[in-house]
Amino acid sequence: MPADQAIPVITMAAPSGSRLLRRRITSIAGWALTGSALALLSSAMIWILAMVFVRGVGAISIDLFTTVTQGNGGGLLNAIEGTVVLSFGALLLAVPFGLAAGTYVSEYPHGYWAPTVRFLADILVGVPSIVLGYVGYVTMVDWLGWNFSVAAGSITVAVICLPYICRTTELALQQVPGSLREAAFALGASEARVIFSICLPAALPAVLTGILLALAISVGETAPLLYTAGWSSYMWNGQLTHSPIGYLTYAIWTFINEPFETAHRLAYAAALLVTTFVLIVHVVSRFVFDRHRQ
Amino acid sequence: MSDKGSYSRKATRRLVLGAALGATLAYGGFAIAADAPPHLLETGSTLLYPLFNLWVPDYTKAHAGLEITTQGTGSGTGISEAISGIAQIGASDAYMSEAQMKKTEGMLNVPLAISSQMINYNLPGLNDKNLKLSGPVLADIYGGKITMWDDAQLKAMNPDVDLPHQTIIPVHRTDGSGDTFIFSQYLSSSTPSWSSSVGFGTTISWPAVQGGLGAEGNPGMVNAAKGNPYSIVYIGISFKNATSAAGLGEAMLQNKAGKFVLSSKETVSAAVAATADKTPTDERLSLIFADGDNSYPIINFEYAIVKQQQPSPDMAAAVREFLEWAIKPDGGNSAQYLDQVGFVPLPPAIAKLSATQLASIK
Amino acid sequence: MRFKTGLAVAAGALPASLVLIILFLTIYAWPAILFNGFQFVTSNTWNLGNLYSDPVMVNGVQISPGAHYGILFLIVGTLLSTIIALLIAVPVGVGAAVFLAEAVPGRLRLALSFFVELLAAVPSVVFGLWGYVVVIPFLGHYLFPFMISVLGFLPFFGGPPGSGYGLLTSGVVLSLMIVPLIVATLRDALVSQPAEAREAVTALGATKFEVVWKVLLPSQSRVLIGASILALGRALGETMAVLMVSGNALNYLPGNIYTPISTMAAFIVSQLDSALQDPTDMAVKSLAEIALILSLISLIINFLARILLSFEKQGARRATFA
Repeated sequence: MPADQAIPVITMAAPSGSRLLRRRITSIAGWALTGSALALLSSAMIWILAMVFVRGVGAISIDLFTTVTQGNGGGLLNAIEGTVVLSFGALLLAVPFGLAAGTYVSEYPHGYWAPTVRFLADILVGVPSIVLGYVGYVTMVDWLGWNFSVAAGSITVAVICLPYICRTTELALQQVPGSLREAAFALGASEARVIFSICLPAALPAVLTGILLALAISVGETAPLLYTAGWSSYMWNGQLTHSPIGYLTYAIWTFINEPFETAHRLAYAAALLVTTFVLIVHVVSRFVFDRHRQ
Repeated sequence: MSDKGSYSRKATRRLVLGAALGATLAYGGFAIAADAPPHLLETGSTLLYPLFNLWVPDYTKAHAGLEITTQGTGSGTGISEAISGIAQIGASDAYMSEAQMKKTEGMLNVPLAISSQMINYNLPGLNDKNLKLSGPVLADIYGGKITMWDDAQLKAMNPDVDLPHQTIIPVHRTDGSGDTFIFSQYLSSSTPSWSSSVGFGTTISWPAVQGGLGAEGNPGMVNAAKGNPYSIVYIGISFKNATSAAGLGEAMLQNKAGKFVLSSKETVSAAVAATADKTPTDERLSLIFADGDNSYPIINFEYAIVKQQQPSPDMAAAVREFLEWAIKPDGGNSAQYLDQVGFVPLPPAIAKLSATQLASIK
Repeated sequence: MRFKTGLAVAAGALPASLVLIILFLTIYAWPAILFNGFQFVTSNTWNLGNLYSDPVMVNGVQISPGAHYGILFLIVGTLLSTIIALLIAVPVGVGAAVFLAEAVPGRLRLALSFFVELLAAVPSVVFGLWGYVVVIPFLGHYLFPFMISVLGFLPFFGGPPGSGYGLLTSGVVLSLMIVPLIVATLRDALVSQPAEAREAVTALGATKFEVVWKVLLPSQSRVLIGASILALGRALGETMAVLMVSGNALNYLPGNIYTPISTMAAFIVSQLDSALQDPTDMAVKSLAEIALILSLISLIINFLARILLSFEKQGARRATFA
């Protein structure tokens, strides 16, 4: 600390009035600045939510949920169904592999494989989603000949979700006390039994949190789906390949650029649906499942 | 842990597993069991997109069981997805290049209608006047050589307009665009220096102009012009309602005969009459910069890029019948549809050539 | 043992995905890497060539005549927008984290932190929508002209205010997307500081603010750096939001902070369909090269961040201040 500020501490005599005042003013200014930083962020969040809700609510109607997109207008039924199908498909692939990876990394941390998996999972998070979409386009849509399809879209989004589920599963399992495992082993349970019957159920809330967060991510993705799922103005016909499918984020990205008011309304409505869903998922996972965090 | 706690955990686990299993079975079962009606994907030119959105609802209503999804993604996407087979109909304002035709055998470029392009601008206070512009002047603006609205060349062309002393913001298309194709063809045909340095194409290397903007799609161009005073854009005629609603001005362009003309049915038809009879059988022809005093210089065929060989006879029939309807004077080429987008119908001779090409789809 | 092996194999899906992606990009882009050479990152001209003329042979490779792939403006755009995002996000993030950790009482802290962290949950395309519809008109018509009149004497702060699409706008939108990372990490780190550290310094006569500012915060510098680097990594890969607000500049470097730019991620999206038009495929391969470079930069940054953060986890068990 600078010499002149050390003086009040060492002498313990009445501190020099003006220096103390200056420090007090600096401190108050400090709180004011940090407080305004918080206020800045809060107002940005409010501004975004306000735009989404105010413009989106005006576009909500029963039609939105009962009709499909027609040209520049119509409803969002096909997009809603498409988002559900794609996200569900992605989770169907990501959850088993992610759970397996997270379990392995948590329960068998010694050796070289677990640190490798953990490390590469963290790296995979950093790959931009557009790169995954591009790779998905060239490999699945083009080379494998699947065309725009649910398969290509779901696989690509699954790769995006994998590292998140792996990480949260690992952290969840680490919270389970070792004594539980030891007790189960002492009773003669096999490794599989310990994990499936004891550890995972105990860690279930946290694991579900991870899965829900992955769901939120997959609902909000745009760039990778543009190149793998394409777009369709119709309800899903059940085909996993050779058939494009609609999804809500496409409506946001494309329809806001059309010079037609009907298209803009669809864009805002889609933004409202996506944002609301994502926010609800986060609120539910934090306050229902994740009560142990500070 | 009390007994109750372990019981509810067990129950939760069973519930979760059961739900997951059930949902997986439902998902898979649905996928296997579902039937597939013919589903066509049309993608490409944002200039053709509004017209397809007029055609498709009426046509699919009359043909139950057929599904057609339309997309406005850009002529470049239309061409490439038609080539790769991802889309059955690629909409494009540009015909395929010789190299592309050689690389992929059996691609058809079928004109569906004739469109034109406007040059719009946003000059506060002056948007109701039709400024006179020419190809060389536009080439200099997009080339960064003319930077201010009150430049000497612009003033000389528009002596009675009080042009402001403001920087011009030229806006170009970022996506592979047929509008870029025909705009750059106009610049190339009228300005030798542009032709040798930049050339034409659905994507060109735009000269760097500080402050120049890129926009996606025709709608993006309308929005860019609307939001940026002193900007200049090139927009397809089917967005005339949008540009009028946005209050943008439209330019009178200098044609090959030296006259300044505004886009209209008459000026477009005059240009068609002057060039269309030169159309070859594969119908890949530029209609830019036609002769004639009254000819509008930026007009073009709107193409459906289609693969001759479709994956199945059902698909081939669906594509062929839809496009055959589209070029019929009492079908898609009627005034009822074309007037709404400002397009001009195909002359009978061209329609015949298109029909011949369509008949070869199998 | 079979269970463990089965689990290990399933876990391999993760590393396999990453390796396959990088391998694919490298193999696919290899002809472009060879053709473009080093000037790929030093040249400022991205030119697909004359797609309507026949391909020509250059250096033993078929390309469209006049084709030349240089991405300097993309690299500059990506770096500058990310740096500006950090310059905004780090001070604001630190300030908000400090205030939340020290000045906000328990239950309110939970709710308020959560609210601010929701910024990270909003999808990128919704950020882009907000930026495009609301922020750009505001910035282009009001804030930028104001900034020019007040700050215009500073280098890069003057000049035409442009349209609202541009470098600063991209930086602002990006900063909002990455700031929750910094706030959450730092706030957790501050809150978990042992009470003894605070009590000791307070006993020496420091004000509450000084406790945080001069003692607790500096001891968390490694965490802060780690979180900032993670935030940097996220900003690099952002696509949709930047695509909608950056202005999509082509072949020129920004002259001031209000000028349009392009980033690598957004460029891939906006150029893919043009590149598909190239019959020689060199354009798509060059785009794949951009994707590869972007991925490698991301990977290196994430790697650095993880190492820094993992050191901190070990260090936290020892003495925490000074």
